[in-house]
Amino acid sequence: MAQNPFDRRRINGPEESFLPVFEPGQERPTTWNARCGRQSTDIRQIFLQPGLISQANGSAYIETEKTKLACAVYGPRQSKSTTYSEKGKLNIEVKFAPFSCTRRRYPLHDAEDRSLAVAIHQSIASSVRLELFPKSTIDVFITIIENDGIEGCVASGAIAASTALADAGIEMFGLVTSCSAAVRGDDIRLDPTEEETNTSDGVVVVACMPALSSITNVWQSGRITAEVTLRCMEMCQDRCIDIHSVIAHSLSSMNKAP
Amino acid sequence: MTSLSKAEKSYIQSSLLSDPPLRLDGRSLEDYRPIALETGVVPLANGSAKVCIGRPGRGGYVQEAGGVGGGTEVVAGVKLEVAGVGDGEGGGKVACTVSCSPAAYPSLSSNALDDLQSDLTILLESVLSHPSLRPNNLVIVPGKKAWAVKLDAVVFADGGNVVDCLMLACRAALWDTKVPLTKWVEYRAPRRHAAQGDVGMDVDVDEEAGGGFETKGESRATDFELTDYWDEGEVLSGRESWPVCVTLNVLSNIHFLDAKLQEEASVPLRMYVMYAFPRGKPILQTFRLIGPEVSTIDQLRGLIKRAESYARNTWTGLEAKLKDEEARRGVKAREKFYGRLG
Repeated sequence: MAQNPFDRRRINGPEESFLPVFEPGQERPTTWNARCGRQSTDIRQIFLQPGLISQANGSAYIETEKTKLACAVYGPRQSKSTTYSEKGKLNIEVKFAPFSCTRRRYPLHDAEDRSLAVAIHQSIASSVRLELFPKSTIDVFITIIENDGIEGCVASGAIAASTALADAGIEMFGLVTSCSAAVRGDDIRLDPTEEETNTSDGVVVVACMPALSSITNVWQSGRITAEVTLRCMEMCQDRCIDIHSVIAHSLSSMNKAP
Repeated sequence: MTSLSKAEKSYIQSSLLSDPPLRLDGRSLEDYRPIALETGVVPLANGSAKVCIGRPGRGGYVQEAGGVGGGTEVVAGVKLEVAGVGDGEGGGKVACTVSCSPAAYPSLSSNALDDLQSDLTILLESVLSHPSLRPNNLVIVPGKKAWAVKLDAVVFADGGNVVDCLMLACRAALWDTKVPLTKWVEYRAPRRHAAQGDVGMDVDVDEEAGGGFETKGESRATDFELTDYWDEGEVLSGRESWPVCVTLNVLSNIHFLDAKLQEEASVPLRMYVMYAFPRGKPILQTFRLIGPEVSTIDQLRGLIKRAESYARNTWTGLEAKLKDEEARRGVKAREKFYGRLG
């Protein structure tokens, strides 16, 4: 990436642009009480499309209502560092688009990028068979186009990254799916919106491989008892099985197309 | 952090998995190294603490390479700064920063050190700055000014288990923090003077901030003044709910606590479990899974339960030690005071 002709200090926007199309009406509730059109165990609908970025070895675009992100996978390619490494390196970079949040994000370095990248790395690293790629690097680039809560970004990012890795034909033990939950009192809500996370006591993000029924990442913060946390984890794991079929379906329908 | 050869790794792993399990320094799996704690070590901070886990190494790092000694050493300090309060914010933020001394990580490049620092900072920030833990006595002038808590921790030596050590030091420093007492100041033109044709403004000192909430003229308070010296003041409210961390190192079906560097490098999975016990009730404040291994929900369920009892031990020990420290420093300060007089 170092030799590309772009000036990284500028914002390289697209060449043409279109007016955004707004959803008609439907102001979202800002409190915990109301949840329009969804049960507390329901997750938002997922649109997942592999292979949208043509120059990448593998890619995926995911959209769950107001969380939208694109993921591109390059590699496995030769590591730049000269030191020998027996295992491949999985390198994940997350970038927020400056317009992705309600407040404009400063376009260059941002501290939150790294915390997200670390969380997503933890989610998918154990699924990739890195021992097959000595001396090489797999680069995963995630661009967050619209952000609706950090937890949703971590979960969707892990799903997109896993799908993109599968699209790139990189060997994995299983597909990784991920789901988040917000807790307030005894009330558990899966796949919370940003408003719900902000008014909650705490959040849990779980990533797992449903095919192997193993858990790759748990990320909990906030004031929750251990029992409720475990219940959240079970509920998320159940929901991950559904998400797994979404990924499988999108990958197989993509391969069927001529 | 340390690079271990495959042979070393498998040597450590197989001895941990043997029956009875063997560790490098002969501890049992659930033993901690000795922990030393002292509060009030930084005279210029509002609260501070120094924590050492393990023997502070004599000439540390040379021995560390041979796998002998060297503990983990962290100093944490809290500085309170006056900050403006934005619209719709409660005021009173807690901001954390972790800096790792390059002396503690001689083998890391400066980039890797930056990454490590930012990872630890993010972890601490997500635990201690969580809105559920925000102390509510940081407001100076409601809606206008509040104390911003700046918590800075410095890792001076890393002999393994740095996260537990950091959390102990941060918790002790926050516990030790004294918020200076303030009074609101209100500006108003006194009527008596105005009648005499005096156009000057008079400064009037209002009630103390704590008692001032019921006065109706909240918005009129514009500034504040300190009523006391810096070493006196009240403690942060809700200081018993800051959590402690227990790091579980998981190797197949065993787990152990307080790993040294070499042990850390040879386990595939680690869990940071942070518990708080406000009024004796266990609250899981943070849980993180670290490492390239997978787990199952049954394993996690068992380990989270076990971690609770470990955390409670650490908690009771720390609580007792902090009370001791408070008493010790009270006596010391009094003796110093009388000694000067006499």
